[in-house]
Amino acid sequence: MTFFTVVARGLIRRPVRTGLTVLGISVGIAAVVALVGISRGFSKSWETGMKARGTDIVVSNMGSSIIPKPFSTSIIDRIAHLPHIAATCGILVDLTSVENAQMIMVSARQWGGFSWNNLKLISGRMPRDAEEPAVLLGRTAADVLKKKVGDTIEIETGELSVVGIVDGDAWVENGSIILALPVLQKITGNAGKINAVDIRVTPSTSAGEVQLLCEQIDKLVPEARAVVASENITDSEVYRMAQAMSWGTSLLAVLVGVLGVMNTMLMTVFERTQEICVLLALGWQRHRIIRMVLWESATLGLLGGLAGALIGAVGVKILGMTPSLRGLLEPDLSVRLLAVSVAIAVGVGVVSGLYPAWRSSRLVPSRALQN
Amino acid sequence: MSNHLSDPASALETAPTGQSQYLFEAIGITKRFEDGQVQALRMINLRVMPGEFVAITGPSGCGKTTLLQMLGALDRPTKGSLLYRGNSIPDLRDPSRYRALEIGFIFQAFHLLPTFTVLENVQIPMFESHLSASERKARAAALLKSVGLSNRLNHFPAKLSGGERQRVAIARSLANSPSVLLADEPTGNLDSENAHHILELINRLHHEQKMTLVLVTHDMDIAQRASRIIHMKDGRIVADHQTGGARE
Ligand SMILES: Nc1ncnc2c1ncn2[C@@H]1O[C@H](COP(=O)(O)OP(=O)(O)OP(=O)(O)O)[C@@H](O)[C@H]1O
Ligand SMILES: [Mg+2]
Repeated sequence: MTFFTVVARGLIRRPVRTGLTVLGISVGIAAVVALVGISRGFSKSWETGMKARGTDIVVSNMGSSIIPKPFSTSIIDRIAHLPHIAATCGILVDLTSVENAQMIMVSARQWGGFSWNNLKLISGRMPRDAEEPAVLLGRTAADVLKKKVGDTIEIETGELSVVGIVDGDAWVENGSIILALPVLQKITGNAGKINAVDIRVTPSTSAGEVQLLCEQIDKLVPEARAVVASENITDSEVYRMAQAMSWGTSLLAVLVGVLGVMNTMLMTVFERTQEICVLLALGWQRHRIIRMVLWESATLGLLGGLAGALIGAVGVKILGMTPSLRGLLEPDLSVRLLAVSVAIAVGVGVVSGLYPAWRSSRLVPSRALQN
Repeated sequence: MSNHLSDPASALETAPTGQSQYLFEAIGITKRFEDGQVQALRMINLRVMPGEFVAITGPSGCGKTTLLQMLGALDRPTKGSLLYRGNSIPDLRDPSRYRALEIGFIFQAFHLLPTFTVLENVQIPMFESHLSASERKARAAALLKSVGLSNRLNHFPAKLSGGERQRVAIARSLANSPSVLLADEPTGNLDSENAHHILELINRLHHEQKMTLVLVTHDMDIAQRASRIIHMKDGRIVADHQTGGARE
């Protein structure tokens, strides 16, 4: 028998209570994994999408909505002359329901713009010209919509034909419907409007120069904001709110976990008062009693953390496979996030054990002799 | 028997022991409980020699358990001085160590830990020793053999009879080869036959291992087995006499 046998016996003596406490923590940790994983995954895949497209700066007006507000195409002419700009591409992007997909990204791109270049045809062909009523489907989007080359697709009021399936080298690209700018402008009644400009800078432009360029653009185009592409999504109010909410919810879940473990550990200390006094009478040091309680609560945290990380990861994967969310959700379930979550759970365990451990250490051995 | 686990003095506060010839020496100890209403011990003077078998008797509430708690460093006197081998018990730097290595406790209610097997219960006090896990286990098994419970090692206390439980508790009290056994009504919860066996066992240990034995009982028959009987009443010692040697 080792000290850890003692710890294990303490947990096993009330298996149901131990199980429920572990479950309580695991729900909180699952929430942390899921919410943080989703929001981080969202920004990460956005970043890879921008990289795949070769976009360095995005000019848009995210405001407080998910979709940036439209502005006039003429913005491009106002900024094109600035130094370090290698190329621009006007974009009209929408997040909308298309047929059986409740939310899918529709990305219209200026015909001939560089944002087409990363798309590799898997099957079919590219649209013939800027006016052809045709779309390309990212491979995930094709999967979700259950479309193949030759099918037609209804977007808003327009009926368009699927002419190609493409791989865009990034998860956001593959989840999108891609079409020529004039086509979408027409069917959505947005003639002459875009809501983003992708900018590629000349090679060897330093990060400082990119920053400076953003500031210059902001001066020229007060109705939108220029943001380094990788930060574009995290810059949006919606994203930041979602992030704050996911951390807030996680924090709440963790707090509930702390209270649950503390309650359990207090109960176990109270119901073992007599036994703890006997341990003291038999010569156990107080620090050994404290360690016993802390190890028990830390173990509760560890088990809850492991279970929670598993539940969170599996849950998010299942969520990502539901038809309505497929192609929209690619959570970041990195080893690091999972490890941090488990560490948080162990921390929850230790912190929750502090007060019960202190209580247990205040017991006096003489009570052991009072029958 | 000398303590094979550590030098007994190491558990004590002051290194040069008082070189006292007494194992315990109580001088005018008084114990008042917090509220101050109850005075459990009043001016107790007592000297116990190493190897003695002392029985403490007296009516309920006279302070027997309280006195035992003082001797075992489970509680401290309100006033007076209480020495173990010349060292002040209330001033011990490490009372836990004293309890673990010098003292073996036997309780009326056994106080075995219900979630541990018999073999594990006996190992509990050994966490405070230097023994390795395998040494602890071997020693516990040997102690249980000496109390006749070799066939019960992996049973939980709930599965044992009262007499068997007390034998486990006795094996546990011997875990770290203490110098003193403090027993508080060890047969109080047992029928007369089991009580007899337990007393025989305690007697045997006292003789074989030359342990000092302080046993609280209100049963005069049991007290007669001791080499010395102390009568208490209202927190005072009212009689203290040798019985002319303990019976084998
Ligand atoms: N923790 C305590 N707080 C207050 N009073 C106490 C406490 N412990 C004991 N007493 C009181 O001290 C007195 C002596 O108690 P003690 O337990 O020593 O008696 P005892 O001789 O062991 O009695 P019994 O034979 O019934 O076990 C009693 O009046 C008891 O009520
Ligand atoms: Mg008593």
